[in-house]
Amino acid sequence: MIKVTIDGRDVELEHPVTVLEAARKAGIEIPTLCYFEGLSPFGGCRLCLVEVEKLPKLQTSCTLMTADGMVVRTETEQIRAARRSMLEFLLINHPLDCPYCDKAGECELQDLVARYGPEAGRFAEGKRRHPESFDDPIIVRNMERCVLCTRCIRMCSELQASYSISVTGRGSHSFVEPFSGGRYDCEYCGNCLTVCPVGAIMSRLHRHSYRPWFVEKETETVCGFCGVGCSMVLQMRENSIIRAIPRRGVGFNEGLLCARGRFGYEYVEGGEELTTPLMRVDGELRQVSWEEALSFTARRLGEIRDEFGGGAVGAVASGRCTNEDNYMLQKLMRFVIGSNNIDSAARNYYAPAQIYLERIFGQGITANLIPGIANSDGVFVAGGDPTAINPILGLKIRAVWRSGGRVVVLGVPGGLKRFVPYELIPVPYSEEIVLSAIVGRLLERKPPGGANAALEAKLRDLRIPSDDELGSTGVSPEDVARVSEDLSSMSTPVVVIGPDMVQRRRASKSLFLLGAIAYLTNARIFLLADRPNYQGLLDMGCLPELLPGGRPVELEMFRHKAEEALGMKVPEQRGLNLFEMIDGAESGRLKALYVMGENPVFNLPDGVRVEKALGSLDLLVVQDVHLTETARLADVVLPATAWPEKEGTYTNLERRLQRVRKARRGKMASYGREDWRILADIAGRLGMTKTYQRVEDVWEEVMHVSALHTGLGYEEMDGGRALWPYYGEPLRGMEGDFTVEGLDGLPEVPAPERPYLMIERPLYHSGTFSRRSKALLAIQPGPYLKMNPELARRHGLTGGDKARISNGRGVLELEVRLDDDMPDNQVHVANTFEGFAAMRLAGFGTDPVTGALYMDDNTVRVEKVLR
Amino acid sequence: MERFLLKNIDSPDSAGIGEYLRTGGYASLKKAFGMEPADIIAEVKAAGLRGRGGAGFPTGMKWDFASRDPKFPKYLICNADEGEPGTFKDRPILEKNPHLLIEGMVISAYALKSERGYIYLRGEYPHARAVLDKAIAEAYEAGFLGGDVAGSGFRFDLSVHQGAGAYICGEETALIDSIEGRRGQPRIKPPFPVNVGAWGKPTVVNNVETLANIPLIVSMGAGRYSEIGNPECPGPKLFSVSCCVERPGVYELPMGIPLREIIYEHAGGVRGGRELKAVIPGGISTPVLTPDVLDCPMDFVNLPKRGSMLGSGAVMVFDDTVCLVRVCWRAMRFFEHESCGKCTPCREGTGWMRNILERMEGGFGRDGDIELLQDIARSIMGKTFCPLGDGAAGVVLGFLRNFSDEFMYHITNKKCLAESG
Amino acid sequence: MDIMDEIRDLSRKYPDRRGALLPALYVVQKEAGWLSQEALDTVSRALNLPQATVKGVATFYAMYKHRPMGRHLIQLCTNVACMIMGAERLVDLISGRYGLEPGGTTDDGRFSLVIMECIGACDRAPAMLVDTDFHADLTADNIFEILEKYE
Ligand SMILES: Cc1cc2nc3c(=O)[nH]c(=O)nc-3n(C[C@H](O)[C@H](O)[C@H](O)COP(=O)(O)O)c2cc1C
Ligand code: SF4
Ligand code: FES
Repeated sequence: MIKVTIDGRDVELEHPVTVLEAARKAGIEIPTLCYFEGLSPFGGCRLCLVEVEKLPKLQTSCTLMTADGMVVRTETEQIRAARRSMLEFLLINHPLDCPYCDKAGECELQDLVARYGPEAGRFAEGKRRHPESFDDPIIVRNMERCVLCTRCIRMCSELQASYSISVTGRGSHSFVEPFSGGRYDCEYCGNCLTVCPVGAIMSRLHRHSYRPWFVEKETETVCGFCGVGCSMVLQMRENSIIRAIPRRGVGFNEGLLCARGRFGYEYVEGGEELTTPLMRVDGELRQVSWEEALSFTARRLGEIRDEFGGGAVGAVASGRCTNEDNYMLQKLMRFVIGSNNIDSAARNYYAPAQIYLERIFGQGITANLIPGIANSDGVFVAGGDPTAINPILGLKIRAVWRSGGRVVVLGVPGGLKRFVPYELIPVPYSEEIVLSAIVGRLLERKPPGGANAALEAKLRDLRIPSDDELGSTGVSPEDVARVSEDLSSMSTPVVVIGPDMVQRRRASKSLFLLGAIAYLTNARIFLLADRPNYQGLLDMGCLPELLPGGRPVELEMFRHKAEEALGMKVPEQRGLNLFEMIDGAESGRLKALYVMGENPVFNLPDGVRVEKALGSLDLLVVQDVHLTETARLADVVLPATAWPEKEGTYTNLERRLQRVRKARRGKMASYGREDWRILADIAGRLGMTKTYQRVEDVWEEVMHVSALHTGLGYEEMDGGRALWPYYGEPLRGMEGDFTVEGLDGLPEVPAPERPYLMIERPLYHSGTFSRRSKALLAIQPGPYLKMNPELARRHGLTGGDKARISNGRGVLELEVRLDDDMPDNQVHVANTFEGFAAMRLAGFGTDPVTGALYMDDNTVRVEKVLR
Repeated sequence: MERFLLKNIDSPDSAGIGEYLRTGGYASLKKAFGMEPADIIAEVKAAGLRGRGGAGFPTGMKWDFASRDPKFPKYLICNADEGEPGTFKDRPILEKNPHLLIEGMVISAYALKSERGYIYLRGEYPHARAVLDKAIAEAYEAGFLGGDVAGSGFRFDLSVHQGAGAYICGEETALIDSIEGRRGQPRIKPPFPVNVGAWGKPTVVNNVETLANIPLIVSMGAGRYSEIGNPECPGPKLFSVSCCVERPGVYELPMGIPLREIIYEHAGGVRGGRELKAVIPGGISTPVLTPDVLDCPMDFVNLPKRGSMLGSGAVMVFDDTVCLVRVCWRAMRFFEHESCGKCTPCREGTGWMRNILERMEGGFGRDGDIELLQDIARSIMGKTFCPLGDGAAGVVLGFLRNFSDEFMYHITNKKCLAESG
Repeated sequence: MDIMDEIRDLSRKYPDRRGALLPALYVVQKEAGWLSQEALDTVSRALNLPQATVKGVATFYAMYKHRPMGRHLIQLCTNVACMIMGAERLVDLISGRYGLEPGGTTDDGRFSLVIMECIGACDRAPAMLVDTDFHADLTADNIFEILEKYE
């Protein structure tokens, strides 16, 4: 126990903290400028000076640690004079342009001067001049205003670990700059905007259009881009979002956001939102009234159900919609129409991987807390770049490195490049061999302990590749030895699994091997989620085989419980998954498809085939915010409200339930209706008697139907208590009856002549929503074809050239971008931009064991486009 | 006085290892290997050696702290940044007697159980760089550096790290940042380098001259060594004497020698027999003094009593032709240029003061400028992150305390009291 | 030895590669006399350090140049001792003769002039470095004799 006296008040401390922290704890305010909670102390601004007995000089309270018996004074004439002086110094080179500085009103310098500053400055010389920089599309820099607190630099290096800006120059000619001195070649997290106390680093979005005090309303919500689920505050003016900001103490993201979260909100105000329902009349989509659209939809669904049975109808739920929306779609399908044909794009990898891992280890195996990653001493990443797919999770991995832990990445490290001690990049589709070799080595170093008999039995059957057999993978036996040594030296490791480890043939084997690594090293598993509510889809029963609460529909006991709870019937057999529905549409077995918030034509492989299949349906209903590629094919299009206009909940990849809140409302909001409301309306027209007034009513039903969510209301979520395992025990334990395909064999490593087309998951875009955000477009305006310079050279290409990629499924023409870090014989394209659906060019199939999508035959011819 | 540190530097081969060995070089090293590391530290403590880099911190004490820290490896860094204007005392050791420094470093490293040393040499000394590289190569060749120093089994590697024009990198924590490849800005203390220094490990930073004293202490023993100079801070001291004297240069004299003797006996007195107007006793960062302090002993204890400091022992002599406003302005230009920019008062205040002095010197001084300058300097004093800012403030306060008339004259008459202005 | 190897070699003297940053900057500066963005980028790649970090460090130190320099770099000290001994007059003379202002480069690219803070030669003031050659006891009479030797 440390006792200090501050301004005559006794403060008792458990651990030594700085004098500043001790004072704040005691409610004593000390002005600061360079100090920022969560960043390392700097001690440069000299505003927090205090007197300490027995020390001759004034001390900076932000750097001085408390010691037992210390006597501190924070308000004396000497201190007040020092503060006045420091503020006078800060102002001498600071332009007094507050009238047109957007920071005015929330400027820390302005506030400090008002409170502690001199009445007048005595500086009568010329001020330092430095032109404002507009070189960047998003961030404007005014280094005349900079007070060199270095909060931005510390943010960028310590928390974001992007290291994109630094102080250049020296003394009073120090400026904060990116390397180029112009555009920020950075990750555009914008976290520097949060910490800049003055108007030196500012967002260009809504520049000069408002003052902080114009903010009329703030809405705390959860980001709608990825499965991390960062909390953010939407600041509203005249019903328009003027800023999305993170806030320390709100949510678990501790005041950090990524580029998408911070700048990407504009997609909902692009003016391209659907305003009325549309119906196909004489082959064309025409505007119709809600009544017309809804009654038509209900009538046609009813007719098809009655004529061909519920099984002729299918639905696609959405990882961007809330739990309530997805639950309602599931209810409409299962209980009203009588079809278990419901699935979503989580089929791509998330759902099958999750279910498969839960088969091996029991329910909730991936439900680990993101902030906890930072406490690990090692991370193993396979199957995707966490810093792009789930950026804030990625930051925690960087934090592991910063605190001395080890980061090992299987595959291209991407945003983790600076943090890996060595690279481990196998030839495409040989990862399984490398993983088997790693597991083989680990088994020698860490013999299994018997906790999971089924898994260990399978391990005994695993074929461990010889050093020679590693030859085709491009990874050496030494590398394998190094990885396994690193893995076995970790005491609290984390295994992060990304989509690329699932979207392949024999996904079961890759997942099994990753699971085995986690098992042998006693690691926690994280499954990356590139949509905000993938986990919610599973938990709400938007899967052909699972009811709400993750209970198998084919088990009578569970089915009965659900039927009892709702007083409605459910079909006994599991339904069709997403790809089976496409097959069904193709073969004519499926007659109607209800697509909510998803764009299969664009987001699924082999788009031509998907398009054709959807085109041959009797009824295609699309419910979405925009007229997407899929909506253009529909018979009915129902406009839905977007993320900032609805209430509901998301379940993130930790299985944390969080509330999404409505920020825009009233006449300025779009014309859409909430997804769950539209669905409930249709269900009502098809015979459902239950009615819902508010979204809470839907959630109450979820709590009633899903044992997983019992007793878990909005209040618990608001309190941050809605964390897996919520209440009580997981519902399903280890089942132990999993199969692994190809356990005792080793695959042939294909060596195609043409390069593989792989889907890039960029940091600045996500799916097809972000392409409507002006800010994200300013950062990354369009698609490009990424390849390494050597591959480009072989095709007679260089950066900036236009290249054509093609195969039997399609053709794309894209600008070439060279990237030294790209592996050979691969080209990457983001599946984001209109007219550039890279997925269309990939063939696909369904993995027989996990039911996951695998991409197949995805090589392309690459040629230069001659102008 | 007998020269120890600059012994033999008049010989044209003084920098070579052959000449050094011939005149008894590396004998202390061999003697040191017969002692326990702790005994060497005790000897240095007993000798009362105080750091020659400017602050005068007791060297033995610093070593003691570092050797008590259980962390390894430990680093030994020689501060050869010599950036303080007026100072050029380390230069003859670096250029003409490098093996004395190397010998001193090996002994120090042995005492500290350090296996890795760096000489942080200022970028402005390219010749010294060449000499040191050659001397280090010779020492490796002769087995005084490397895996098995002089057959003792002790390992010590040494190399030169060249600075690149930043005065602040003479400050030891900024120096460490600079060796680590960072912007050379001072670090928060505590922790001190002796515990958390280069790459987070215990690190001792000592000035060139300090380290050059070590072989001497080992060979003479603390007893005889401490008979040289002032008992409170004994030993030989290098004084660099410059500006208006007949014979500027580096003089090795006992610590505590009166200023008068340095100027009039060794440096040949004020040039052209002119009148002495002012003296800066320890480099530009130490406050200027008037001629009435000529009898003050030049050491770490007596100069502070007269309102200044020994600093690096750089004596700058100004005669009556020198415009002190101009000197003060030039000094401030230096501080403005060299301020690292980390802390507010130094970054902003030095430029402001330079601005005012520049105006004043150019004949545009205003009423109230002197009070304003004093006020700014007081606002800086004691509030900066590191001593550089304090130094800048101290210089202005020193000039204004002792020569305010001359500044006043500049303001009212728009021209200089002295001829040179 | 190619420049990347030379830089990586330097880093062996330090417990981590970042230590070699200052020496590496000297190595690349030797090539062209100044540090272009490409030169900084080379260092950044050789040492696997962020580009912004490299730039921040390179611009902190006065002896790294960020603009093309003349074939010869005159680094003339004008700090107190040199000033008193007439360095400022030498600056004027050099400006007059070559049309060269402090911080500038002659039109023919022969000289650049940089004003130095103390270069530790106060006993032989005024003094300068031309490239890495040291010259002291400069006077109006000998300065051009010295400079004219640099083509
Ligand atoms: C601004 C500043 C500049 C300094 N420059 C030097 C220098 O050039 N050479 C030096 O030896 N010490 C210099 N010092 C002192 C060092 O910080 C440190 O005290 C010294 O290297 C310790 O060595 P010593 O104990 O042997 O003197 C400087 C200190 C400050 C605050
Ligand atoms: S006083 Fe402050 S700004 Fe000046 S050199 Fe020291 S730390 Fe840097
Ligand atoms: S002042 Fe010029 S060398 Fe010292």
